[in-house]
Order: sequence, then structure tokens, then C-alpha cells
Amino acid sequence: MKILLLFLTLGLHLYAGISEGDKAPNFTLKTLDGKKIYSMKNFKGEVVLLNLWASWCKGCKKEMPEFVALQKSYKKGFKLVTVNLDDSPEKAEKFLASVEKKTGMKIPFISLYDPKKSLAKAYQCSAMPSSYLIDKQGKIRNIIVGSLNADEIEQLKLEINKLK
Amino acid sequence: MKLTLPLFLTLIILLNGCAETLTRVMPYEKEHFADPKMSVSPLAERAEHEGHIFLIREASAGGDSAYQGGCGCR
Repeated sequence: MKILLLFLTLGLHLYAGISEGDKAPNFTLKTLDGKKIYSMKNFKGEVVLLNLWASWCKGCKKEMPEFVALQKSYKKGFKLVTVNLDDSPEKAEKFLASVEKKTGMKIPFISLYDPKKSLAKAYQCSAMPSSYLIDKQGKIRNIIVGSLNADEIEQLKLEINKLK
Repeated sequence: MKLTLPLFLTLIILLNGCAETLTRVMPYEKEHFADPKMSVSPLAERAEHEGHIFLIREASAGGDSAYQGGCGCR
């Protein structure tokens, strides 16, 4: 009976979703240009907004220009890390080039590439786009499902400032 | 008890096949579904034109809406 309960508990634990207050799962991913490798260790002591996006996702198109402005407004203590989930990096690069053209600014945030979708699986991404606000201690403080508009970004800034 | 555990484990393995993560297309896997080619009417203008033709031809037969008699003059 004890063994049955053990298996049942383990099984339920496997199906339990990620939630606020949990430790942010670690990752090791290359940037879109393949030149650098980042993991959670690189952001120790910083507030991180981890955003999962793809070029085919309509909500991502809406929020990306807002993200450019968000990262531009912080010089220290906050990093916006975007993770692209497209099948080919060319699509993502084309998308980011169009964002640069639209905003008239160079992409200021870190753009990682995850073709195997390992990060999306680890973070149990339930919709596109999804964002995870991670505090200095590496704990998930807020899970944002869907795209963010300018007003929501302002709200998020207040939350970031509290965590900084 | 000796038989119950293997049975239980077999049941769990079988039920795992029906797990949501295996049967459901996850949001981040929908790249090809999001392709405009996959939409029911990928060409909006053409769909509108086809709808107009359908209305002229079939509205008189009923089922869609009362529109006109089939002459296409409106």
C-alpha cells in the first residue's frame, strides 16, 4: 500500500504545474545569432522578465515594441530575456528587424533561441506569448499569460521596481 | 499484493498514453497551424467574392438567408 501511495504521489507531482513562488527552472540556451550562451546563473542578483515568443504569434507582434521601451527604461538591475520558439532562427531575425524598423531602436534585450522548445516545456507554457517575472533569488513572482499592452507594462514596472 | 503492483503499474503506463501532454498540441507547437495557409479562407477577398456568388445562386433555395431570386443583379 505504501508503494502504491508513493507512486501516486510521484505521479501527481509530475503533473503539477509551475506556479508563482516556485524556483525558476534553469536553462542553457544560445542567442539567436549563436554567439553567446546564457543560463539562469548569468542573471543572478537581477530581476528577470523571461518572455516566450514566436514570429507567428499575433500577441507577440503587439507586445514586442513595448518590450523595447521597457528594457530601455532600465539600465541596471533588470534584464528582459526573450526566448524565441520558431522552427528556424531566420524567421525570428526577420521579425526582430521589423520591430527595429517600427520602433527606430536597436533591440536592447537578450534574444535567446530554443528550437527544441525545452524551456517552454520546463516552464509549462500554457499560451503564446507567456512571460515570467523572476526575482533576484531566482523565484517566479508573476506568471503573465498573453500579451502585455502599454498600461500593463506600467503596472509591471511598479512590480519590477519593488523587486529591485 | 504480488499481482496488484504490476497491474497498477501497467495501468499507469497505459493511462500515461492518454496524458494531455502527449495528446494535446501545446501552444508553442502551433507554428504550422498559425500559418495563413491553414485558415479556412486564406484569401479574404476571394472568400467574400465566393460568398457573394453563393448568395446569388443559393439564397433563393433557402437555408442561408433571404436575399434575391438568383439573377445576381444586386
